Amino acid sequence: MLEALQAMGSVVLDPFLLLLIFATTIIGVVIGVLPGIGATTGAALLLPFTLTMSPVHAITVLSTIYVSATFAGSITAILINTPGTSAAAATTFDGYPLAQRGEAGRALGIAVVSSTVGGIFSVIVLCIAAPMLARVAYHFRPPEYFALTLFGLSMLASISSGGAIKNLIGGVFGVWVSTIGAEPTTGIERFMFGNYDLYEGLSFVPVFIGLFAMSELLVQSKIANQLTSTIGMKAVKLPSREDYKRIWKTILRSCGIGTFIGILPAEGATVASMIGYAEARRWSKNKEEFGKGSIEGIAGAEAANNAATGGAMVPTMVLGIPGSGTTAIILVGLMVHGLRPGPYLFTEQVDKVYQIFGAMILANIMFLVMGLYAAKIFARISLVPISLLWPIVFAFAVVGSYSLSSALMDVWIVLIFGVIGFFARRHGFAVAPIAVGFILGEMVETNLQNSLKMFDGQWWMILTQPLAVLFLVLAVLGLCGPMIFDLLIRRQKHNGDSSNS
Amino acid sequence: MKISDLIVPGVITVFSFIVIYLSLQLDLSPPMIVGDSMQPRAFPIFLMIINLILVGLLTYQFYQSPPDSIPLEPFQTWGSIILLVIFYGMTTGVDFFVAIAVVMFLMCILWGEKRILVALSASLVTPILIFVLFDQVLQIRFPRGLLLDWYYG
Repeated sequence: MLEALQAMGSVVLDPFLLLLIFATTIIGVVIGVLPGIGATTGAALLLPFTLTMSPVHAITVLSTIYVSATFAGSITAILINTPGTSAAAATTFDGYPLAQRGEAGRALGIAVVSSTVGGIFSVIVLCIAAPMLARVAYHFRPPEYFALTLFGLSMLASISSGGAIKNLIGGVFGVWVSTIGAEPTTGIERFMFGNYDLYEGLSFVPVFIGLFAMSELLVQSKIANQLTSTIGMKAVKLPSREDYKRIWKTILRSCGIGTFIGILPAEGATVASMIGYAEARRWSKNKEEFGKGSIEGIAGAEAANNAATGGAMVPTMVLGIPGSGTTAIILVGLMVHGLRPGPYLFTEQVDKVYQIFGAMILANIMFLVMGLYAAKIFARISLVPISLLWPIVFAFAVVGSYSLSSALMDVWIVLIFGVIGFFARRHGFAVAPIAVGFILGEMVETNLQNSLKMFDGQWWMILTQPLAVLFLVLAVLGLCGPMIFDLLIRRQKHNGDSSNS
Repeated sequence: MKISDLIVPGVITVFSFIVIYLSLQLDLSPPMIVGDSMQPRAFPIFLMIINLILVGLLTYQFYQSPPDSIPLEPFQTWGSIILLVIFYGMTTGVDFFVAIAVVMFLMCILWGEKRILVALSASLVTPILIFVLFDQVLQIRFPRGLLLDWYYG
């Protein structure tokens, strides 16, 4: 414990790391306020720049982008009614109406304080829960890992955007993409069509840049000529004593909700903020204020979405299963820098892990300062015309993807997956399930193969392993849960309609 | 349910069958290497069978509640996709950075930037800055072409 605290404290003594967190927080907030570029796209674009850094510095950059961009989405949500990131969508419900009433500074103050509390709370939970979970995961063998990855994939069914079936189709497609290249055990070439650049499979980064950044570019082209109106603001105001009295319970509740949702594989800040907002409304004494500028609504959504960031890091670091789209990129960052995600990370490189945790706490404090003193300036950045912004993103996307392994093939992969991602989104398929499926694909296949070898080809023996059975049951619940939930809502609606008539 | 609602399930079905066909063409690994595990073709086939089941469910879902019709994309979107193809052609035929600059400029204009000089400066300055950053700081060597042949010598 003392060693962990020492490692976390050592972050403060590293001036380069502090400077890096400061600079990355600025970049993260800019990324968060720019239309369409969220934490995931931002992290994917910045990943190539971290290659020359040490592992701790690199992961700090990516996780700082994650927490600061997640918060920054609320700035534009409040001031121009356009969430900078999808996680801030629930903030628009009450943030913008409050800003319209001339209280934009108060709305931003509540958002920034709630986000900071949510973020720090979740990192503390991460510090406590991750080593405990690692101790359990240390005993996992291939059958348990196989069942766990299936559970992770099943959770795709409940991601909010798209439908359960569409998300699962996306996930299966992602898993299939991971089979391109030479099969790891036998070396048999699969779907390479004689192209030996694909021998080691598709790299994560170009696929992610294509799916998130390039497809977003094509989506943004649809609103190229849209104009946005802004609301003026004098300064960000910290919540008053009365405000704190009204929101502290909501913040605490949302911290718990956000962290829990974040820990679930494949769920992220967007789902957390929606649930955080809904629960804030459910427990509020002033329900009538919701949608008209309720400070509890802002606090509920913002505390939950930032609490999800730390929560999502738990399965990412302990199990190697990403908790969200952005953590999928952080996972790639960990692998690129030689930090093998999984329980061994907590025994072999524990000092690095706690340094990363320490840096995440600092990043949360840093965006509190920036949110309070520079939100007004950052809000202006959101007015950069997208006709200039996205061509610049295009240049960074193609050069960044090339720089990873100096291969033009990676650039073509960006273009191809950009178009695939765009058409998928056009037809209501979210791209995050494809990314999560792509990451988990190799884990599923390898662990299934190893399980079969372990049990002499008798696959049903997997069902004799208690933990594996537990994960498989959870996977079934993950698959059927949204459908049962959907059915219950329909039945409730049907009953309501018939009683009205 | 309209015929157009069947396009997406149809495309996924065709894709799944193509993958199954291609998987069946894959080489078989000798039993002494595979052992008690599975052949490399088994996993993709298994995935595509799941995909076909999911497509069946999706079609049923569309039958129960037909999806909203999707409006046709504006010319900026189709133009941007064409620009990606132009980028491919120019990178392989002319030069990586020339391609970036040209595509950036055309994209600015296509997306409604009326200030030609602003678009021109953005599309010239950005690739130069990115090149300096990656070449000098990150020591990345870019693919040769018209400009880079001259630069690298």
